[in-house]
Amino acid sequence: MTIKTTFMTAAIALAATPTLANDVVRISGWGGDNIVVVNSLINEVLDDDLKAAGITVEYEPVEGDFAQILTNALSAGTAPDAFYVDSFWAYPIFESGKIDPVPADNQDVADALLPALNQAFTYEGQLMGIAKDFNTLAVQYDMDIFDDAGVDYPDMDDDWHDFRTKLQQVQAELDDVYGICVVPDYARFAAFALATGWQPINDQGHTVLDDRFREAFEFYVTLPDENAGVLATDLGQGWTGGCFGNGDTAVAMEGAWMIGFLRDQAPNKYYSTVGIPKHPETGDRGNLVFTVAWGVAADSDVKDSAHKVVELLTSEKAQQWVLESGLALPSREALADNDFFNGDSTAAITSRVVFEGASDGQVEPFQFGEYGGEWKAIVDEALSAALLKERSIDEAIAHAQEQFDRLTGR
Amino acid sequence: MTETSSNSVQTTLASGRLSDRPDARREQAAVRRRQASTLVLMYGVLISIATVLLGTFLFALLASVKEDPLEQPFRFWFAQINPVNWAGAWEQGREGSGNAWWGGFSPGGEVTFHLTYAAPVGEELAAPAIEIPRRRPGTGMAAAVYTDFAVDYASDLDIRREDGPLYEFTNKDGVTEQWQQATWHVRFRYEGEGPRIERVPFSSQAPRSQTLIDATLPPTRMERRGRVASWENVTPGVLGYVFNNYRRVFKESVDLNTGDSLFMSWFQNSLLISLGRVALTLVLATTGGYALARLKFPGQRAVFFTMLVSMMIPIQVTFISNYLVIREINLLNTPWAVIIVLVVSAQVLIMKQFFESVPREIEEAALMDGAGYWTTFYKVILPMSKPALITITIMAFQGAWNDFFWPLVLINSPPSAFALPVGLLSLRNAYGGAGDWSLILAGAFMSTVPVLILFMVFQRYIVDNPIASGSKE
Repeated sequence: MTIKTTFMTAAIALAATPTLANDVVRISGWGGDNIVVVNSLINEVLDDDLKAAGITVEYEPVEGDFAQILTNALSAGTAPDAFYVDSFWAYPIFESGKIDPVPADNQDVADALLPALNQAFTYEGQLMGIAKDFNTLAVQYDMDIFDDAGVDYPDMDDDWHDFRTKLQQVQAELDDVYGICVVPDYARFAAFALATGWQPINDQGHTVLDDRFREAFEFYVTLPDENAGVLATDLGQGWTGGCFGNGDTAVAMEGAWMIGFLRDQAPNKYYSTVGIPKHPETGDRGNLVFTVAWGVAADSDVKDSAHKVVELLTSEKAQQWVLESGLALPSREALADNDFFNGDSTAAITSRVVFEGASDGQVEPFQFGEYGGEWKAIVDEALSAALLKERSIDEAIAHAQEQFDRLTGR
Repeated sequence: MTETSSNSVQTTLASGRLSDRPDARREQAAVRRRQASTLVLMYGVLISIATVLLGTFLFALLASVKEDPLEQPFRFWFAQINPVNWAGAWEQGREGSGNAWWGGFSPGGEVTFHLTYAAPVGEELAAPAIEIPRRRPGTGMAAAVYTDFAVDYASDLDIRREDGPLYEFTNKDGVTEQWQQATWHVRFRYEGEGPRIERVPFSSQAPRSQTLIDATLPPTRMERRGRVASWENVTPGVLGYVFNNYRRVFKESVDLNTGDSLFMSWFQNSLLISLGRVALTLVLATTGGYALARLKFPGQRAVFFTMLVSMMIPIQVTFISNYLVIREINLLNTPWAVIIVLVVSAQVLIMKQFFESVPREIEEAALMDGAGYWTTFYKVILPMSKPALITITIMAFQGAWNDFFWPLVLINSPPSAFALPVGLLSLRNAYGGAGDWSLILAGAFMSTVPVLILFMVFQRYIVDNPIASGSKE
């Protein structure tokens, strides 16, 4: 082989080798357990895949108000290349045009996800983000408290009345324990409201607080009066999980994020998880789906690499690892049959119940389209007014209806 | 003085010593009572104000060293400030790592921990189930940073029981019972080589009929309705025990890409921003104030009026335009953006008033000696303006150090670029919005230190009225 031929062969071989991107992709999301998940994915699980793609990932978690910081960064053009997008505040971000739609290359990843999750991130017919995980509500109960009170544990067949009766019995038996912490928050109340068959926004695009809503509203805000619960603020807490973690209440109504919280704050807690109680007449459970996607900044200089990183972070390999670590619930439909869900550890039980919650009964995504937080604030205000006795139940609902009429039309 | 009392005094003087007369003595006593009551009232008001102002400070300080700063009811006496526990923490730290101050668990360490349980006579006093759990410290970033666990290195766990004397226990119903007690001495070692582990979590589970009445260190929390006593760290060392939250601020808030402490980055950023703003404020306030006070130029009144108006405009009105300008000159996410966004009208006004109170004769004397405007300003006027300059320095530093709005708007990435107030906000973690208040409080408390030092060093200058000082002839 002549020198010339050798050079030509080498040149052809080099040209045939796939070029590496050599891009640095900045990704960001919020803190808590997510830091461990993403950090481990980048540095352990996907390390080889990222190297093969020639991509270096810089992870910048934000332990604060992520939506606010992201909004500022998007406005300034300094946003990370890929970042979390919560379904709750996704709409205005999509509307701003600051998110690059999911490219056709990633469509197979999107097709593998639970359809309800894709729906939450679809804007004007385009998929804007790939859901990374999701959560729903479930009831966590402290088995020591129920044992000491001599009351049966909550179970999957409980309806609202059974649930309340058990909480009343616990509260009556134990001086230092309440049934549940009640919070003026639609994100918890919705589990009851939706179970009645009530629709937050009806087919005409309006919100109507009808008798079904009133039934759930009355059940929820009278839990403290019925000696089945206490206002969370009376215990210096802002959420049901805080009261539960301290051992002040028998149950909490939270998602799988409780696993990490209790592991850190009450590591020896002896608890388990069941589904949300059913409506006594419809027999349905109500629930919300909280989901978060990876979005790619439209202004990013490394959009292709950012999409590649998102593809890897939501790959089956990554999600399998996340699930088996007990750190988050996967968004891929195929992982519903994973052995992890059949385990008998508290984390496995909680994950299974929360996973099943997404397709059990009347389930809505935790998002309110163009109305966003403004819609939720109206219900929260009504709940707060009724719980604090500032308004009667009827007055609180009537006032909320007036506000909805202005917001969504009659 | 009233006419009656005047007459009385005259009469008294005529007839001898004031205190010899019974009515005069009564009057003196009444005066003393009035003085005393005025004194009590005055001190009462001062103490009340001090309590309100310092009380919150004290609350924050105490809460910042507690394991659970949100505990209700608030306790003023708790484990971290009990000297008995300091001694225990010292000894445990020494045993675990040879470092009695900061504790830990190092190769060669041998730790003995004592637990005393009691139960009514007749009940079985069973050995507790001891565990060194694989528990990662804190949340969020800490979980990513700490990868070594004490359970992987602790070995040779040995438990020895020692029965104690019977004692009388009065229960909540007032009934006195005979109780038995036993102490379990739990010992474990760090054999072989390995890293220094910062914490050794520990838990002890006993039947509900048994009560933990004593331990080398009080448990961090009782779980499972009294069944499980749980310790975050049984080898803390005395400083690690009392100031654990403060240590966490440095160690559990790190840049995952570089491993550097985020808190230190935020501190340095805030310091740079504050010093930059102070320097800029001093330059603008002194030169602007001097020009308005002494120089005559067209439009002087308009400038002064504009300056007054600018004081009345809230920053929210101008923030979008300021933001856009800073974005266009590529200063976003840099400390310089926050340094240059400042309004110094008030400081210019203070300096103008101060310079106007300086006698013109002093400047005229300097001019007569051949000094120009700049020399007069730099070498004569400025040295005389020390009280005013220090006041402005402190005001500017405090304002910049505590500024939240501009750093939040102008610096949002990466987290290591945050200023301290914004960084502290980010110490909240993500469990449904619940915050790690131990971390936030400790961080917030440390953030007050530079301003406190500044106030302590320069407080006498703040008490002095700069204008009054400057106007002395």
